[in-house]
Amino acid sequence: MNGGPALVSIMRQGSTLIASIHTALDDSELVRFEHDLVAQIGTHRSRGVIIDVAALDVIDSFAAHTLRRIAEMARLRGARTVVVGIQPEVAFAMVRLGMRPAAGGDHVTTALDLEEGLALLETAESGGPPGGAAGWSP
Amino acid sequence: MADEKPGAGRQGAPTDEAPPNGLRDDPTAAAHDGVAAGGNGEHLLSQLIAHLRENRTRLREEWAERIQEAHLLTAMTPKEMAAETTSVYDNYVEVLETGSVEALQHYARDLSERIIPRGVETHEVVGIVLLLRDVLARSLFEKYQRDFGLLNEVLDAYEPAANRIANTVAVSFVDERERVIRQQQDAIRELSTPVLPVRERLLILPIIGVLDSERARQLTEQLLTGIRRHRAKVVVIDITGSPDVDETVANHLVQTVDASRLMGASVIITGLSPKIAQTLVTIGVDLSKMNTIGDLQGGLEEAERLLGYTVTRKEVSSSS
Amino acid sequence: MGGVDSGPDDRPADLPAQAVADLIPIVRRVVGGRVGGHPAAEDLVQETLTRVLAASATIEPGMLEPYAIVTARNVVASMWRDEDRKRRNQHRVVDLSEPESPEARLVLDEEQGAMAQALARLTERERLTLLAHEVGGTDTRTLAEQAGSTAGAVAAQLNRTRARLRVEYLLAARQVEPPTDRCRPVLIALSSADQRRQREVGAAQHLLECETCAQLSEPLLERGQHRDGTLRIPITADPDIVAARTAVRSLASSLAFGPTELTVIATAVSEVCRNIVRFAGSGEVVVELLDSPRRGLQVVARDAGPGIDDVDAAMADGFSTYGGLGLGLPGVRRLMDEFAVASEPGHGTTVTMTKWERKDHG
Repeated sequence: MNGGPALVSIMRQGSTLIASIHTALDDSELVRFEHDLVAQIGTHRSRGVIIDVAALDVIDSFAAHTLRRIAEMARLRGARTVVVGIQPEVAFAMVRLGMRPAAGGDHVTTALDLEEGLALLETAESGGPPGGAAGWSP
Repeated sequence: MADEKPGAGRQGAPTDEAPPNGLRDDPTAAAHDGVAAGGNGEHLLSQLIAHLRENRTRLREEWAERIQEAHLLTAMTPKEMAAETTSVYDNYVEVLETGSVEALQHYARDLSERIIPRGVETHEVVGIVLLLRDVLARSLFEKYQRDFGLLNEVLDAYEPAANRIANTVAVSFVDERERVIRQQQDAIRELSTPVLPVRERLLILPIIGVLDSERARQLTEQLLTGIRRHRAKVVVIDITGSPDVDETVANHLVQTVDASRLMGASVIITGLSPKIAQTLVTIGVDLSKMNTIGDLQGGLEEAERLLGYTVTRKEVSSSS
Repeated sequence: MGGVDSGPDDRPADLPAQAVADLIPIVRRVVGGRVGGHPAAEDLVQETLTRVLAASATIEPGMLEPYAIVTARNVVASMWRDEDRKRRNQHRVVDLSEPESPEARLVLDEEQGAMAQALARLTERERLTLLAHEVGGTDTRTLAEQAGSTAGAVAAQLNRTRARLRVEYLLAARQVEPPTDRCRPVLIALSSADQRRQREVGAAQHLLECETCAQLSEPLLERGQHRDGTLRIPITADPDIVAARTAVRSLASSLAFGPTELTVIATAVSEVCRNIVRFAGSGEVVVELLDSPRRGLQVVARDAGPGIDDVDAAMADGFSTYGGLGLGLPGVRRLMDEFAVASEPGHGTTVTMTKWERKDHG
């Protein structure tokens, strides 16, 4: 953080925020990321948030919980969150750990990659049903 | 479950080897704690080893002849046969001398690796080692035939060691063979669970035949990496061809579906038999939350619908 | 249990010293049985007797012997704890054990010279924080409060400082000056085992080009990695969780694990390490490669924290460990092939878990 290269980047594209995590984050870094992102959602009055986690080689319960909390906070501010880029092995480990996809709208939505995530947000904007994506519950 | 008692049923392990029938008077210690142990036995053994070294060429040739007569290792050329029999002979004597089967074990593995692809069978490998044992025993018989008491003692020292060697070679061969077979099975399994990209963004995974937990594991891995590779948006898993699954496999299947969805793909399951559906319900799966459709045709139509929807939204022309 | 050489139960109460002296054989046996011929054995016996004597006025005569046995065990246990603490801290830079021979003394003097030089090259703040933690024994939380920061940040800062110190120490001990500007960043990245940072500074390329750094890199890379495939990782703050799972993953990749299994193992390690940080504050993870009955990887995570009151309840699905997540131990159990928890309330928790190479699956 201080000095070193950015661990995460948050970009703005129209009404959407695109946050990319570039490396494994420890718990305090995750919490800081959560605060930064939620603050920016407020500042920019974003309608959609994409979190790219393709660089994460592990999503453990704390990381999953943090992502879910971000999505909840975003929802309270009127933004929809899509987590994109969960790696195949990571997805499997998450399920084994006990995280089940949930169909409800108040959970995180997932999509394959950034492009899919953006497409998903577009359809949501125009009032369509949420593609086929799912999120997870603990 | 309960029929697996540890330690029971390991007859194959060399350390469990008991001296052969009849001949187990005192040198049992030699059979258990390394071949070369024991007082008098040790002296006899070194005599024996000297004998085997002196007559190396003659005995090895005799052995090679016996192998030929018995039509063993016919897959090998005479030259290969000469080289391998020499190595086995030397390793054999070394085991008698040191009491350590480690070097022989390595050699046997190595040999097995070379000859298994050429179709050499277990009985051939065991056969040649037993032949060597007999050739050597016969030479001992000839050497000591005048002193029956001494012969008996020499054989007492020799036989447990010889049996242990035979066992080691056989076990090494069988291990190696199992490994090769397992490798082949893996390859076959991989072919038997194809992930088919039917059209852009759509994968079909037909499950045919019995799903054991190993195959289920592979299926998961292939499907999940397939989703990433093909950027699949919809996956149709068709289990029409699978007669039955147990609870473990059913669980695995559900986890696969969940993981696919976490990656952002929708999963449609087709061909769910009432029996498998029952298993899923038993393990606590809420079928209403799974996208299940009667047959593959219907599943594909549903997949098209899911895909078509986003295609028009993005206003990209897709000509399947 | 039964006393063999102890005195009679009806010993006069006004002779406590004699009664305690009668306990010497049994105490020696208890201590000897635990520490064997350890040089400190007699000291431990004496310490036990002193404690028993101090308490003897309040102890029923018949209870003296059991009390002595318990005390002896506690004394021994606390010695192990001290030893263990020393061992756990040995990877750090300040040597806590005393040198034994005159030769060792000489070597030590030289080493201390290099260490003094290395310390001098740190910034004032780095040096003070490090010494307060390593020598003064101040924990990261206290340090964080003093600095107005978080424990995690302090721990991360300490890790970076240690990495720098190791580099400076090596440079001073070998009396070399890095030939290029790039050397120090590369060496520090190697020292901290931070692979991302190593990539950024182009460590691999630099080691090919720079002879000096190539030589220095050896001792830096060896650190923490035991010869026999055993890895011991101290867990004191949340950055250690990431470090632990990265280290375990790289050790595990020496076995025939596929990418899925490696991720599964890393995830399990992450979970148990977090439990250590959350509930015990600190602890350690020991990873070992197994050869029998099959090849596999064993992870032991232990702490001396408050322990788990009801292990069965904690293992039931839906048991929440923190933050309302119904995951925790049952999830970890699903990730691994074998899993066991031993916990004693007030004394700590040990989680032992194993993943086998899957070759033997029929």
